[in-house]
Amino acid sequence: MQEDLKTEQIARANIYALISRLLMNEVDESLLKLINEDENILSFFPNFEKWKKRISMTPKDLIEKELNVDFTNLFLLHLIPYESFYMRADQQMETGGDNPIQTIYDTFDFQVQLDEARVMSADHIGVELEFMFKLVEAQTKALNDDALEVAAEIAGIQYNFLKDHLLEWAPMFLLNVKLEAGTALYFDAAELALEFMMSDFEYLTHLQTTTIVDEKVEERA
Amino acid sequence: MDIKDLNDLRTEFENLQNNDMLNDCEDGSCMSDGPSREDYPDYLAAIFTEIMPPIKSGIYFSRWDLKRMAGELDESFALDVRERMFQKFMQWVGTPDDMQNVIEQFNNNINAKCDKYREYSKKYPSTKEIFDKKLKKAESSKKYLDKVYTEFFT
Repeated sequence: MQEDLKTEQIARANIYALISRLLMNEVDESLLKLINEDENILSFFPNFEKWKKRISMTPKDLIEKELNVDFTNLFLLHLIPYESFYMRADQQMETGGDNPIQTIYDTFDFQVQLDEARVMSADHIGVELEFMFKLVEAQTKALNDDALEVAAEIAGIQYNFLKDHLLEWAPMFLLNVKLEAGTALYFDAAELALEFMMSDFEYLTHLQTTTIVDEKVEERA
Repeated sequence: MDIKDLNDLRTEFENLQNNDMLNDCEDGSCMSDGPSREDYPDYLAAIFTEIMPPIKSGIYFSRWDLKRMAGELDESFALDVRERMFQKFMQWVGTPDDMQNVIEQFNNNINAKCDKYREYSKKYPSTKEIFDKKLKKAESSKKYLDKVYTEFFT
């Protein structure tokens, strides 16, 4: 049972890492190679898999002439991948230290190098997904150490972060990415991020419920 | 009938009234149907402040959305700062009929996105609470657009 739980966490961490990377920065040749050569990963991108340009263009051309242009349009120029824009009535981004997301990161000692990530603030969708990745990683470590209560607590933090943050705004952004994507890769990436976050929320909700039920059973016993 | 009886009667009546109010409210119809809306000097300020922010309408109207909505009305402008694009779109409005068409475009965009919200909350029931809030805001926004039309164009 616990082995299954560990395997699930590794799979979840991998997907969070993948979508975080894809939505944070432009694709480079090593990431493209990984997607192209790993059948499991490629299966997450069904339209990209069938896309003729994926085969007909060299990786360099595909990146420079198609994928980077699309990334720039979607994530840098015309759509807004920052939570604060969606949560503030004045439709402004909070790029300073008052960003409530930064406070959450500080609580968990999650450090964001904005210049390295090349984002304007800590509430960028890629950074928030990376935070989820780090939480799942910490949960896996707790499971490996048999610290089950700690693992359950970290799962609770993930649940709350999805509920109060990512799922509150990212669907609005990602729906528009799907609408405007000019390449199969970014259409699929938006679809993957949307579907994965929602299915992960189902998973965490189930986990929360079973943990609470287990605790009550233990109390009664 | 003495004072005590009268007080008992009043208490009984108040309880009855409270129960009626609670029953009326079971479907949430007695609650405000969305965020409070303020009065604005013109329709441009009203829509930009009450409909355009995703936090208020539950919908993200992007630059491309604005361009596409205007395109449906045979109006064209370049991709630009979102607020400027919104202003250009609104400045196109010259008659009440134009405004009706603009509202129709907003409603089409809202409806298309609400369909997705419903699809997601059906597929992933745990997200229902999250998407229901957005659907409620979106419905309230459509009503507000009608109110803007009535206030500024009739």
